[in-house]
Amino acid sequence: MQREPAAAEEPGCPGGRRRRRRRRRRPGDGRTRVVRSNLLPPPGVEDPAAGAAKGARRRRRGGAQRLADNRLKTTKYTLLSFLPKNLFEQFHRLANVYFVFIALLNFVPAVNAFQPGLALAPVLFILAVTAFKDLWEDYSRHRSDHEINHLGCLVFSREEKQYVNRFWKEIRVGDFVRLRCNEIIPADILLLSSSDPDGLCHIETANLDGETNLKRRQVVRGFSELVSEFNPLMFTSVIECEKPNNDLTRFRGCIIHDNGKKAGLYKENLLLRGCTIRNTEAVVGIVIYAGHETKALLNNSGPRYKRSQLERQMNCDVLWCVLLLICMSLFSAVGHGLWVQRYQEKKSLFDVPESDGSSLSPVTAAVYSFLTMIIILQVLIPISLYVSIEIVKVCQVYFINQDIELYDEETDSQLQCRALNITEDLGQIQYIFSDKTGTLTENKMVFRRCTVSGIEYSHDANAQRLARYQEADSEEEEAVSKGGSLPQRGSIGSHQSVRIMHRSQSTKSHRRTGSRAEAKWASMLSKHTAFSSPMEKDITPDPKLFEKVSECDRCLAIARHQEHPLAHLSPELSDVFDFFIALTICNTVVVTSPDQPRQKVRVRFEVKSPVKTIEDFLRRFSPSRLTSGCSSIGSLATNKATHKSGSNFLSTLSNDRTLLKLEEKLSQPTKAIASNGYSSGAASWAPEHTAQEQELEKEKEQEWELRYEAESPDEAALVYAARAYNCALVDRLHDQVSVELPHLGRLTFELLHILGFDSIRKRMSVVIRHPLTDEINVYTKGADSVVMDLLLPCSSDDARGRHQKKIRSKTQNYLNLYAVEGLRTLCIAKRVLSKEEYACWLQSHLEAESSLDNREELLFQSAIRLETNLHLLGATGIEDRLQDGVPETIAKLRQAGLQIWVLTGDKQETAINIAYACKLLDHDEEVITLNAESQEACAALLDQCLHYVKSKSPCSTPQKTEGNVSVGFSPLCPPSTSTTSGPSPSLVIDGRSLAYALDKNLEDKFLFLAKQCRSVLCCRSTPLQKSMVVKLVRSKLKAMTLAIGDGANDVSMIQVADVGVGISGQEGMQAVMASDFAVPRFRYLERLLIVHGHWCYSRLANMVLYFFYKNTMFVGLLFWFQFYCGFSASAMIDQWYLIFFNLLFSSLPQLVTGVLDKDVPADVLLTAPQLYKSGQNMEEYRPRTFWLNMADAAFQSLVCFFIPYLAYYDSDTDVFTWGTPITAIALFTFLLHLGIETKTWTWLNWIACGFSILLFFTVALIYNASCATCYPPSNPYWTMQTLLGDPVFYLTCLIAPVAALLPRLFFKAVQGNLFPTQLQLGRQLAKRSPKKLIAPKETFAQGHLLGEPRTESSEQRSIKTSGPLSQDCTSQASWHVQQPACSPEASGEPNVVDMNMPLREDILLEELSGQAPGSVPREAILEGCSGASKMKPTSTSRTAPLSSIFNLPNFSSLNWISSFSLVSGLGSILQFSRNSLQMDKQDSEFLPSPPQPDQDLCGLSGQTTDYF
Amino acid sequence: MKRISEDYQSRLPDNTALKQQQLPAYRLQLSATGVLSGFFAAGAFCLGMGIILILSAKSIKEIEVKYTKICANCAELREDATNFDKECTCSIPFYLSETMKGNVYMYYKLYGFYQNLYQYILSRSNSQLLGTDLKDVGNCAPFSNSHDGTPIAPCGAIANSIFNDTIILSYNLNSSIPIEVPMLKSKITWWTDKYVKFQNPSSINLSSAFAGTTKPPYWSKPVYELDEEDPGNNGFLNDDFIVWMRTAAFPTFKKLYRRLNRIQYFIEGLPAGNYSLLIFDFPVTRFKGEKSVVLSTLTWSGGSSLFLGLAYTVTGAVTWLAAFSMMAIHLMLKKKKMLFIQD
Repeated sequence: MQREPAAAEEPGCPGGRRRRRRRRRRPGDGRTRVVRSNLLPPPGVEDPAAGAAKGARRRRRGGAQRLADNRLKTTKYTLLSFLPKNLFEQFHRLANVYFVFIALLNFVPAVNAFQPGLALAPVLFILAVTAFKDLWEDYSRHRSDHEINHLGCLVFSREEKQYVNRFWKEIRVGDFVRLRCNEIIPADILLLSSSDPDGLCHIETANLDGETNLKRRQVVRGFSELVSEFNPLMFTSVIECEKPNNDLTRFRGCIIHDNGKKAGLYKENLLLRGCTIRNTEAVVGIVIYAGHETKALLNNSGPRYKRSQLERQMNCDVLWCVLLLICMSLFSAVGHGLWVQRYQEKKSLFDVPESDGSSLSPVTAAVYSFLTMIIILQVLIPISLYVSIEIVKVCQVYFINQDIELYDEETDSQLQCRALNITEDLGQIQYIFSDKTGTLTENKMVFRRCTVSGIEYSHDANAQRLARYQEADSEEEEAVSKGGSLPQRGSIGSHQSVRIMHRSQSTKSHRRTGSRAEAKWASMLSKHTAFSSPMEKDITPDPKLFEKVSECDRCLAIARHQEHPLAHLSPELSDVFDFFIALTICNTVVVTSPDQPRQKVRVRFEVKSPVKTIEDFLRRFSPSRLTSGCSSIGSLATNKATHKSGSNFLSTLSNDRTLLKLEEKLSQPTKAIASNGYSSGAASWAPEHTAQEQELEKEKEQEWELRYEAESPDEAALVYAARAYNCALVDRLHDQVSVELPHLGRLTFELLHILGFDSIRKRMSVVIRHPLTDEINVYTKGADSVVMDLLLPCSSDDARGRHQKKIRSKTQNYLNLYAVEGLRTLCIAKRVLSKEEYACWLQSHLEAESSLDNREELLFQSAIRLETNLHLLGATGIEDRLQDGVPETIAKLRQAGLQIWVLTGDKQETAINIAYACKLLDHDEEVITLNAESQEACAALLDQCLHYVKSKSPCSTPQKTEGNVSVGFSPLCPPSTSTTSGPSPSLVIDGRSLAYALDKNLEDKFLFLAKQCRSVLCCRSTPLQKSMVVKLVRSKLKAMTLAIGDGANDVSMIQVADVGVGISGQEGMQAVMASDFAVPRFRYLERLLIVHGHWCYSRLANMVLYFFYKNTMFVGLLFWFQFYCGFSASAMIDQWYLIFFNLLFSSLPQLVTGVLDKDVPADVLLTAPQLYKSGQNMEEYRPRTFWLNMADAAFQSLVCFFIPYLAYYDSDTDVFTWGTPITAIALFTFLLHLGIETKTWTWLNWIACGFSILLFFTVALIYNASCATCYPPSNPYWTMQTLLGDPVFYLTCLIAPVAALLPRLFFKAVQGNLFPTQLQLGRQLAKRSPKKLIAPKETFAQGHLLGEPRTESSEQRSIKTSGPLSQDCTSQASWHVQQPACSPEASGEPNVVDMNMPLREDILLEELSGQAPGSVPREAILEGCSGASKMKPTSTSRTAPLSSIFNLPNFSSLNWISSFSLVSGLGSILQFSRNSLQMDKQDSEFLPSPPQPDQDLCGLSGQTTDYF
Repeated sequence: MKRISEDYQSRLPDNTALKQQQLPAYRLQLSATGVLSGFFAAGAFCLGMGIILILSAKSIKEIEVKYTKICANCAELREDATNFDKECTCSIPFYLSETMKGNVYMYYKLYGFYQNLYQYILSRSNSQLLGTDLKDVGNCAPFSNSHDGTPIAPCGAIANSIFNDTIILSYNLNSSIPIEVPMLKSKITWWTDKYVKFQNPSSINLSSAFAGTTKPPYWSKPVYELDEEDPGNNGFLNDDFIVWMRTAAFPTFKKLYRRLNRIQYFIEGLPAGNYSLLIFDFPVTRFKGEKSVVLSTLTWSGGSSLFLGLAYTVTGAVTWLAAFSMMAIHLMLKKKKMLFIQD
């Protein structure tokens, strides 16, 4: 198998050819593709086996003729096509065309300014650099392509009649490929055979979509029934399928057998390229799509090209420069024309006439002069600007990637920049749009609480344990960071070996595109921590509930031989039992054990489920099947009783022959069936008992090694929770689920159907046959809002119905309570189906399944038919923990002046509570909730809110000004936002209202309101709405937006925003693939924006400004000279210097500065995030600074021109001997200017500057000594050498730069000392020793978090509960003003004023009052608040006008939670800034608990006196 | 691949100062004291430099004698091409009040002669001037070939428009007898010009070397007869020619013409007294300019210009002014608001 490793050298098939081929094919074969086995003689070839090699080649040609092969070719160029293609691409850039045009202008003799060859040099240089970069990229792509193309896999060879090893690139469509466990799938393959007993194959699609759970794929129907080994030679069917497309979630087609039978193909049959086979020993399939037609590659789009705001602004200024250039040239042309006219009459001696002796007319001369001037002054448009910016950005990206502080050790991933050219946008963000789940939260689900049939089990022990975990976690982190080393977490140690194995396997293929592979790593590694972290696994059961579960178990174990085992349980206990059964089986969790994949069992079970046909159904429900059913349960428990299942198989075969009609089956009395089944089941169960128990013991030990791999983390959490109650999912086959209970033993549920979860239904269901009752049960699990509506309507007449109703309302209340706590809620419900109902449903469902068009819609309808009249079992509350550092990050980002909006699909209560938890909302601030039922209501509500916000704003203005004043004077005082934004409320809006608010008529109002608000929370929003919101803000407010998210639902938002950030987390790679930057955690956003964003922006802005300055100044020198040479476009600077000055002599220092300069060090930026605002306000680069800069450039060029002019005036110097000092002066001035602008001088800067000077003089000396007669017109032989012996040269070089830079330096010094900007203050702050910095930093945080306890304590929670109580009353407009206790009159009771609040249950009130004492400490904390006395009147006066809103009929609910303790905090903050000593005293009253702040404040007070 | 599977923290970035952007850096702080002291120091330096330069410039003795108007008749005469060969002289007396000590240089100075015109600069052939290829007249159009096609040597507008006045300086020791001041015409060019950039074609004698070429249209003599006194100063190696070929930077320029041969009366330099200039002319009205003769001495800093000294002085003064004003503001505000940042 040794082949030439020459993927590209071979006359490859570049994209063009492939495209051509596709085009040719299009008219021919329409919308489908037909795939045949390659092993069959292709039509038209008579003798296929005419020799192995020849045949193989022909076969290959035959295949390749029509369809793409599996060769991966991501390279853009071949050796031949590189030059033309690359040049073509480069000339798409307007600047390049411009420069080439200018260079070509030199070839026109009349206007040429430079030697044509020389003029081309810079352009060629730039083009060459870019081309080299492209070439290098292409080469690395080629190398990785080559590597992937030469991976091996087993392909069936006709010649050798067996599977032989081939390279990936040799695989054709129609080949048969055999894949073993942990192999990567080389192409899109239709699964034809699997070693799995059920014809299943598990694949991991992490590489494709980042989802780390295993997906199940199924052998094509018809092939799974084959008993013998699949033989590719026998495969004669024809496959018809769709054309290649990039839809990963869809595959349609059919397979046509020889006998004309058709079978449908779905995405479950397709193995996608790039995925990995897991848990399956071997599979065989036929290649359907290969190479670039695979879905994986069709989905693979390159990095995005965005244009940053700064670049847009810069382009605008480039246009100004063009205008300036034209003006200068015009001026010069007119001047020349006049000059020529003046000297025309008398033929001056110095006049050079045309070759025929006539002299040019003034107009012609002017035109020539104009063109020549354009050439000479072309430097004004900086040719190197674009290249330099690109270089700087690449370096910036490199440094961001390298930042160790952005490295996440847990996932071993660092930040990735996927978009290379918008780094500076990071420094100008104004709005952040964030997803919630997985972005703010971990998306690691932990089971917290549940309620079953109306009784709540609070799992207190579990909560405590979790708290301990959290502490331990943080301690561990500290230890890690202290030690500096990076030890592995103990908790994941057990997965270590697995991880390494995964790594070594997947590295090969996933280096295709670096970022993808990296992202894959992240998900790979996070997998084990995510889905089997000890937190989820070890759940401390609630003792009460545990007792009940055991009781069920015991009862049922005893009663299992009786007719209605469940009837022996009380309704509650039976609910408990069903609840846990539902938790255990109503999911798609795959049980894996660390050992090897399941062996292929020769003899299969007779039934394949889900039930596919009516015959299937009949077979299953035939009496004989039922009698043997329980024996199979027993045999399943032992799992390897093959002989028994063999007999089963035989018996079913006979059953098949004696099929009875459906009606007959159904008419059989269920009772009889059940009893029949049970007796036989018990019979088979009893004798094996002892042996089985031993086995159980063994398995129990093993059981702990079982891992659950779920599609969503919630599912895993629930299954682990059920296992904690000894109700463990032990095995899941395609058609059955086994649950292990301590007394009952293993219960095997026959799985009839799974109706998977989808986001429209928001629920999933399983249809099973209960082994105990033999009933057909539907277990449904879904969002509470959906499930609650699907419950069986219960009459309030009988006691049972009333009881049910009570349970429901109780459950609903608990659900609300969970939501308040920020838990994700799920409802569990059940439905018992009669056989008739089931049969009826099944029929329609099968019809739906088999229909070809409109299948999804029909299936949806079918699911709805099944999931009705449910019986509520209970509900669960799962906690999605906040990610580390989210509240702190949000606080910092907010200080930085960023508006943070959270757009989530979660429900309002959960979202609000997460928002509280992550300090997005403050308990001390008002929350405006917008829930409107109709367009009109929404409009009215918006008006009301606007009115309210406006009426509020005047009272906040005095505080605002105070805050600003204090900011102006001290770098240490809190930022203005924290002081001023206090009074501004927050807005919460739900999806429906959002839809109304985003309407054309209302969007302005909505935006205006949202602008006034401190934070905005959009709940229940769809992905489309998310992107619409972002688009709205971006287009209407002209603001820079950043969207961050982790899931597929955030993709649209990420794409719309100026900067899209993906979190490479749990939910897959879609978000990352769409993003510009991928961060491992939300908290890294802080450093990314505040530090790197700021740096990138300020560096680039300064560099661009410097570029403009430099070029203008240089061009100015030439322009002034025109006044002394009759505007003849003569240049005193040697053309070599002119051309290479920008490119060589003066380029390096600014690059170094552009890459490395740090205007403010990172720690100061992080301490004082308000410095970020300079970027938002575009302080560094705005039109004013640009023009100032240009004016300075003009001044400097005047000085640098006239000092040498006057110094050499009246001397015998010649043009170029005079021009050389000017060049030197310009160089020195540039470097000194850069020196003033550079804030940090590292040795690199010094080296770069030194290098520049050295390079200039070296080049000049060499150039001036190289050729005596060359380089006309300057002919600079020995010029520099002569100059170096001339004192005047040194004298001018000394004075001119000093004089030129004097004003700038003076201005800078005065401005920096008298009116320092925030940045300059920050810089001064940095100059102090870093030790001093720590003190203000901590007090800063303290001051900011005033009025709210740092950690989430119980007393805070109690206040929280009071808020959302009103939110469940959706029927009425509710309005409550909450004022926690900042009045001196406040008693120990929470002062909650709830108006018009219909409570559903009194219990809650009781609970609330029960918890109320907990809030007393908070009161105590706040009692000392000084400004409190004024609070009371304000609050009461405010409630009065608000109550008028009740009269508005249309409001579903409108909640104002206004609380005023923040105002007191505000007052204290102001005082804090004013007088730190007083603050010190006050603060000790505020925060009695931690002793450190006092010390910090002491440090601060000492510090502040030091400052003033 | 190996690397990844081997170590656990595979993608942990290197913790080096450069990669973490933690390079030790000097921060340029425009603090009050720093800036003030810097300004004062720079100002002091500039002032000092300025004074030195001004003093040294003052020591230069220079006298300029314009002769455009006095010799206007010659110019008019030359306007007519037929009077081509006629000699026209004019004599300009002037009085040197002070002795010019040391080396004295004689320059001719042209006002408004644009030697830096773009087309003019180009109009020469370096390879011809190097003597390698007399027929290379590439850039010289329209002064490349004569009407009959023979190449012009030296070709081009620069050479064509050469300054061809002859200036003779006489010293009237007594009121009656003028003594011609001995002048040297050697070493008035750059060494590299004379010995590297300009070469005569190699041949037995110059006239044969320049055979097959013709003189530039405005010239009265062929290039090999430029200096009748010194045969070595002929052809392309003529010093006056070489000086002229170095195109001046500004429309007003002076070029070195002769230097004083310090013998006899002139060992000390040019003594004070009455002098006269005898000038054979160059058609000056053709460029609407003026001509003058400049006699000047040199100092260590070269040229005569007072400007550099002034520039230094002014810059120094301005710097001090700025420094004082800054100090005033600084002190004022420091008293008032304590706002100034201290170090």
